[in-house]
Amino acid sequence: MSSPLVLLPGDEVPSEYLPATNSAPLRLGPGLRLLTQPPSSSPSSSSPSHVLTATQAGILSTDNKRNAVSIFSSPNRRYIPTPNDLVIAQVHHSSQDYFHCMITPQTPHVVLGQLAFEGATKKTRPMLKQGDLVYARVLSVGLGAGAEIELTCVNPATGKAEPGGLGHLTGGMVFDISTGMAARLMRASSSSSDQQDGVAGLVVLDELGKKLEKAGGFEIAVGRNGKVWVDCSNGGDAAVKATVAIGRCLTTIDEHDLGPADQKKLVSRILREMKIDV
Amino acid sequence: MVGPAATLTPLARADGSASYQCPSTGSNILGSVNAPVELPGRRDALKPEEATVEVFVKPGTAPAGVGERYVEGIIKGVLGRLILGRERGYPRRGVVVTLATVGGDSVGRGDSYLTLLPALLHTALLALLSASVPLSMTFSATVLAVSDSGEIIREPSTEQAAAAKSLHVLAFSSKGHLLLNESQGAFDFETWEKVHQRALAICHGTSAIGSDGDVAMVEDVDGQPLEGTIRETIEDQVHRDYAWKIDAV
Repeated sequence: MSSPLVLLPGDEVPSEYLPATNSAPLRLGPGLRLLTQPPSSSPSSSSPSHVLTATQAGILSTDNKRNAVSIFSSPNRRYIPTPNDLVIAQVHHSSQDYFHCMITPQTPHVVLGQLAFEGATKKTRPMLKQGDLVYARVLSVGLGAGAEIELTCVNPATGKAEPGGLGHLTGGMVFDISTGMAARLMRASSSSSDQQDGVAGLVVLDELGKKLEKAGGFEIAVGRNGKVWVDCSNGGDAAVKATVAIGRCLTTIDEHDLGPADQKKLVSRILREMKIDV
Repeated sequence: MVGPAATLTPLARADGSASYQCPSTGSNILGSVNAPVELPGRRDALKPEEATVEVFVKPGTAPAGVGERYVEGIIKGVLGRLILGRERGYPRRGVVVTLATVGGDSVGRGDSYLTLLPALLHTALLALLSASVPLSMTFSATVLAVSDSGEIIREPSTEQAAAAKSLHVLAFSSKGHLLLNESQGAFDFETWEKVHQRALAICHGTSAIGSDGDVAMVEDVDGQPLEGTIRETIEDQVHRDYAWKIDAV
């Protein structure tokens, strides 16, 4: 595979681009569908009876390890909840059994069980107020139209908040980014690499981490719904400035699609402008 | 002939948007798509397992009237066939397409909307692609005028369209099937066949048509097929969006 393949809706995926077949079944990601080929004119032809076609415009991405194939489409698209997505939700109000949260401003509220927190019991449940932020996992999106989406902050099997960090986000600040940028940030922050260009073309987190080491470092939580939460825990005036600076770096990189070199420049420039000594 | 110029995602707040400028008709359209959105009231009751497509056409200066309602209906029909309204997250939600004329000749009250229709359709398609709405295929459309002398004019200006005997808008899917045929005025079958052939050549190039000398000449006049222009616009945008991924390979 030399050059990346750009597909438009209705285009067939050429079979040489698919991951080499092994025992595991091929997983179809978003943007692709399986169609049955209409019986061709010559019944004896050995053409496959199924074809993969794209339903969204974007770049074809294959994962040989998981034997998966999907389409990376426009990064500005709207977030559609999928089970196991990590999202940042805001509590809107609470009822007897549930917190009703917002994950995107335009969709109906999603529910988060009052007891779906690590170590929560009927007696000791987290008291979340309106406007509080929660880092949660999408548990189910329901079947059919109009179904409620449910979030959870624990793994139902183990009762632990895994991966670590699920639950109430205290302090800090949330910034809006595009869904594509959120996916990139997730890959970049979950795997640290020694590459020059960073993971997914993002060096901003490594760069900020190095520069803000003296200021006490920072915490970051990325939600698939296009939100990123940033907090500098060391308190005081510098923490607020650093939080805002990190947010500005991330939103500017998202807006202008900056490459690794420009990201480094931007980090230095914003830190200088905000008068944060590194 | 100079092809149309299009930009994807010029608007930051919409889920998807496109601006489209057709040099021959001078029309300049800005389109935005929001999908999937919650519909107010019970407008989804008719088809509970499908997405509802809504199209709004806004003329540049005047409030929308009957002409806009009519063309909204046509665009809705075409897009309804294209959008996969049963994909995850789409049933009972709405796909709202808003198309605004921001430049060029706007259509006067009572005048034909057919001259503007291909530009509106292309803008809607590009905006849908930019919003990553699942589609079954893409298409390209063109408008042709037949003058009194029987000459076929591609993408006529407002004056040419007013003087023409008949006007035809044809859209072809990316597989080459006829998707839309709107005609107006007096014409016979023979004329329509010619118009159909010429439109197919404009949208898909001439390779699909037989090899007579007349058609080969048409190719030089029409330049790049519209299908290719649309594909290039998308590919450019994808390459810009995923520069970080492509450069890394």
